[in-house]
Amino acid sequence: MRIFKMALLNEIDKVLKKKKTLVVIIISMITIVIGQLSIIGLQKGLNFATVSLSSFPILILSFFASTILLLFTILITIDLFSGEFNSNTIKITITRPISRFKLFLAKTTSILIFISFNLLVLFVTSFVLSIIFNNGSLSIGKFLDLVVAYLVTLLPIMAIAMVIILLANLIKSSTMVFFISLIIILLFKGLEILFPAYSSLLVFSMLDWYNLWLSDNIQIFKIIREFLIMLSFSIMLFIASFYIFEKRDF
Amino acid sequence: MNKILEIENLNKVYKNERGIFDLNLDIDKGDIFGFLGPNGAGKTTTMKIMTGLMKQDSGNVKIFGYNIREDFERALENVGCIIETVEAFSYMTAYDNLKYVSRYYNNIDKNRIDDVLELVGLHKYKKEKVKGFSLGMKQRLGIATAIINKPKLAILDEPLNGLDVEGMLEFRKLIKNISEKENTTFFISSHLIHDVELTCNRVGIIIGGKLLNVDYIDNILMSYESLEKYFVREVEKNENIQNGIIK
Repeated sequence: MRIFKMALLNEIDKVLKKKKTLVVIIISMITIVIGQLSIIGLQKGLNFATVSLSSFPILILSFFASTILLLFTILITIDLFSGEFNSNTIKITITRPISRFKLFLAKTTSILIFISFNLLVLFVTSFVLSIIFNNGSLSIGKFLDLVVAYLVTLLPIMAIAMVIILLANLIKSSTMVFFISLIIILLFKGLEILFPAYSSLLVFSMLDWYNLWLSDNIQIFKIIREFLIMLSFSIMLFIASFYIFEKRDF
Repeated sequence: MNKILEIENLNKVYKNERGIFDLNLDIDKGDIFGFLGPNGAGKTTTMKIMTGLMKQDSGNVKIFGYNIREDFERALENVGCIIETVEAFSYMTAYDNLKYVSRYYNNIDKNRIDDVLELVGLHKYKKEKVKGFSLGMKQRLGIATAIINKPKLAILDEPLNGLDVEGMLEFRKLIKNISEKENTTFFISSHLIHDVELTCNRVGIIIGGKLLNVDYIDNILMSYESLEKYFVREVEKNENIQNGIIK
């Protein structure tokens, strides 16, 4: 367990020391502020849109989950896998007394932690700005809805991260992994539009599944079904990616 | 003698049919073993298997009695290595690179990191990012990461690559120093005969993926004028055997 903890600490440390982590967080915060200011402008100038205290954080979540947060997840995942394979820095860790399974698990867990951290930053920033600038009251129930919406979004993003992890283990070039990831995401978005009836089976279409949790009539069976689809999809990809990682010669 | 490293019937064949074939080798405690062979002889492949970077097709490697396939963590607990090229995270400082590596071992404190940086002559650059380091400085950092855990076995693949003459002399001194003071066993690969003769006390010759012979340098120098003459003789002997088989 000590070795796993240390490996996890190292993986987190690496991501924190990269400039792009800070850049992404700053971009996220600036985008939220710009979003909030635009809404104020629209409300006051054109009397066009009204955004309540509780709906602004959800608006931010729906925008970020399929854009900046997804992009950040792709970049971090590529850095921790194919980025290290290409630069040969993976050798620094592989030649230490740690099994490949623990190392793989530490890398995957660190990605999960960073998605969570990013969601937390988005939630806190959007919530604080919403309290300052938007009208309306917030009940404890509504607040908990916001927390749940952000929490459950972790699962579809992690499921997509597992696809990137598989690609990053299969394909040597980081640039190729990046573009293929984008193509796959766009392809699935296209499928979602072309075959809306099957969208609940496509993991890439589940980024907005938090809406199921916010509905007045919670469809428990639909939630369980989508949860199980994402979970089984993630487990299968985890096993496949680890198999490739374990067999790989460096 | 205490066996630190045992290699039994090790095989690894690449698609181009090169690799290592039926390699058997034991390294005893206190040895400074030179793994001598030309480029492409199979030195790096052997070392990569020993350190978990590659999987063998068949055969076993035991380090301190632990099979690397079954108990990798224990086998590597007291091992330090540089394989093929020195790697470091360029966006981290020299100190942070050592801190990163030290987390995988027990009881390595700040003082040890400072001591090792001092030992390899990088202490005054410890807060500088590695991306600004010269090849020689990176090589020194590589040596520092290889010895940070006070390894009982250090596996160094062509460690003199990139070092200037002064660096080579210092490196040899460093190896002898660590070997005597910390009783570290060394497994060093090189294609430079003269370096092996000056640095090591035991040598194994590998050609075409096959280990030809293993002997102590003192014994060799009693029968041969230099290690180079011994090397040439061993290669000729091997060629004769191969030709005999072909005929």
